[in-house]
Amino acid sequence: MVEFEVPEVDYTRYSNRQLLAVPLAVLGIALAIIVGAYFLTGTPVTPGVEFTGGTEFHVATEDTQATLQGLAGETAEIRPVGLGGEEYIITVQPDRTEAVESALRNAGYTTGEQCIATGGGTICSISERSAAFGERAQQTALLGVAAAFVGMSILIFVVFRSFVPSIAVVASAFSDIMIPVALMNVFGIKLSLGAVAALLMLIGYSVDSDILLNNHILRRRGGFYESTYRAMRTGVTMTLTSLSAMIVMAIVSRLFGIPLLPDIALILVFGLAADLMNTYMMNVSLLRWYKYEGVAR
Amino acid sequence: MDLSLRENWRVWMLVALLILSTIALFPFGSLLAGGDGASDGPTAVNDTLVNGTDGGVANETYGTQPGGDFTNLDYGLDLAGGTRIRAPFVGVTAEISIAAEEADALERSLASKLGVDPIDVSVTPYQNAPGTVEVFSGDVSPAELEATLQDAGYDPDPETVRDGVTEQTRSEVVDVLTNKINEGGLTGGTVSVISTAGGEEYFAVVEVPGATQSEVERLIGTRGVIEVIAQRRVGNETTSETVLYGEDFTNPGIAQQANPSEGVQRPYVPVSIEPDAARNFTDVMNRLDFSTQGVGNCDYGAATGGDGSYCLVTTLDGEVIYTAPLGDGLAREFRQETFAENPGFVMETGNYSDARQLSISLRVGTMPTNVNLSSGTTYYLQPSLAERFKSLALVTGLVTWLAVSIVVFIRYRRKEIAIPMLATATAEVYLLLGFAASIGLALDLSHIAGFIAVIGTGVDDLVIIADEILQRGEIATGRVFQDRFRKAFWVIGVAAVTTIIAMSPLTVLSLGDLTGFAIVTIVGVLIGVLVTRPAYGDILRNLVLEE
Repeated sequence: MVEFEVPEVDYTRYSNRQLLAVPLAVLGIALAIIVGAYFLTGTPVTPGVEFTGGTEFHVATEDTQATLQGLAGETAEIRPVGLGGEEYIITVQPDRTEAVESALRNAGYTTGEQCIATGGGTICSISERSAAFGERAQQTALLGVAAAFVGMSILIFVVFRSFVPSIAVVASAFSDIMIPVALMNVFGIKLSLGAVAALLMLIGYSVDSDILLNNHILRRRGGFYESTYRAMRTGVTMTLTSLSAMIVMAIVSRLFGIPLLPDIALILVFGLAADLMNTYMMNVSLLRWYKYEGVAR
Repeated sequence: MDLSLRENWRVWMLVALLILSTIALFPFGSLLAGGDGASDGPTAVNDTLVNGTDGGVANETYGTQPGGDFTNLDYGLDLAGGTRIRAPFVGVTAEISIAAEEADALERSLASKLGVDPIDVSVTPYQNAPGTVEVFSGDVSPAELEATLQDAGYDPDPETVRDGVTEQTRSEVVDVLTNKINEGGLTGGTVSVISTAGGEEYFAVVEVPGATQSEVERLIGTRGVIEVIAQRRVGNETTSETVLYGEDFTNPGIAQQANPSEGVQRPYVPVSIEPDAARNFTDVMNRLDFSTQGVGNCDYGAATGGDGSYCLVTTLDGEVIYTAPLGDGLAREFRQETFAENPGFVMETGNYSDARQLSISLRVGTMPTNVNLSSGTTYYLQPSLAERFKSLALVTGLVTWLAVSIVVFIRYRRKEIAIPMLATATAEVYLLLGFAASIGLALDLSHIAGFIAVIGTGVDDLVIIADEILQRGEIATGRVFQDRFRKAFWVIGVAAVTTIIAMSPLTVLSLGDLTGFAIVTIVGVLIGVLVTRPAYGDILRNLVLEE
């Protein structure tokens, strides 16, 4: 049987500065990527169809991808989806929707009963968003994430009632959101509604382990390192459980070609991995400083 | 094991809720009766009205039944297929102070000044609040409305002049659309209104499971404006006057087929006319000579010739569907002014399909304004693809659950800890499904994502409880257990409140798919924190105390 025991990290070997340097450097790089993307493209992360407007056709066909490209025009994005290799998602600008739909229909595509490739191809799904609607959705999504973050911050400050432990949790959650956003830029993942949902879920997942750590260190008897180890044993188990679930979900749902779920899973994988680093390097060092030096002041 | 109610009430509560969920989830009643449980859900088909009387002409119903498997669960568009259209309302609105008796005059003068149909202008005075002016034509800008109102001597507050319509109008549109969908043979459809975060803009959301995009667009793309126009040509001069509007008709009947053998030459819809409208109708018919020279004399479309032309033109959404002169019998009633006493009326049409359209429009009413299909979003998903998403999402859920199980087993290596943990997490999803079935929530992919989020936070919390309770050291007595449980719960509680706070903006913001996700996550966290996770604590205590 595989052994799995959370390793005990010897924190005494590292100074607070050393511990803090890594997560801060990563956060710095992440922010640089996001700011860079903002200056290059005008948005912190490339918005997907749901936010720019546009139409997605899910088609099943025996045609090749090149044939589809010919039908849908050069500007269309086409990606294969699902297991069978005969299904594609064609993404086009809103003003091209009708042209592409009629091109597909003229080529013998029908909105039949079954999503199958034989018999001339099928349009299995059409999802259309106007540009105006997309723009509003973008603002709304940003507002939602911001409101959630502010709400979470206020709650944390109310619960812990002291600055350093609270800011540790808030900073960690901030970094947990920023790192996945930066990684989305790096891997060319577009912002979808699923991604927004995942970013909000990250706020919830991220504070779990942070609160646990704060609670063990600040509210329990026992030495700093013993408390930290206890919190870690539980917290790392929690995060690894979620992480493995999300890795599996990301792979399986992408293979199956299910919408929405792969986005959520992948972003959570990024965020949970970032959370391991932020909680057990950034938060631990902030709390150690607070416990040994901050309180004394 | 100690199974006393007082000691283990949390476990018993979980058991009770699991039983309730089971009752909510499975259609026991119809299973016992041997029926198909799926078809007696809240969205059952109601198309007898048309079927029952037409004989032969079936009112088509489309697509899948919601809840088409062996449970009571309803599925939304992502998992059942169908069409969803979100579109803004057409119109501009201003607020002015206006007396009730001036409203009609202002309506008429605005219509002529703005060059729109009178039916596209609505002035609503209120006793103790500013009245509202709405123009629904779509090509009048707020600035134009403001200027025209100022010209007419009213002074609208510039703040209140805006794109959009009043709440009253929106709810009328929703009512009519709902009727239209049900009467039009698209079953299980729903219509609602959502707004952007600040309430700046409102959208009608129409969801019809199983229907294609064009079917829904055809149905909701028109307002169902019915007009009967008296068109008279004397010499070369043609004049038109609208004598009846859709709302003047009452008790519309079912469209009837033509039946030449019984003397019914054309398909028709029997209706009655409101007394006031009937009196006005009589006056116009007499004044314009329809009831005298006009009887039997309609030469629609011809510009000259003959003895002139006296046509009653029936239009639906501006399209002429039938033209005819006044018949002999009706003309006599007009001349004798007896029509208003018994204002029965037969609206004939050229073909049966027009008669059906007319009948539906009369019954469901006229939408005060259109929804703008071109600046909304539409979504169509083939039912068979949706079916595939449904089963694959289930598989994804199971595989994810398996991954969690493996990690938990490796970590604890004791089945008496791991099995209850996984069972509790499963129970949480089961309770959520029961909740979804009992409130008739239509499950979508976003809800599935919510379930997964709940399993995720749920297992996290169970790990916290397990680690707290199983720590070595003091002998685990009841009191120590209580203490540890409380400590674990502090963390869980704060984390739960955080998740709820993080999700709550999504429940009110109109981000479409994400609302369902947020609601499921919040309800799941509540069920978890209040029921299942405490119960797991009790189960673990029993196991620990036994050792």
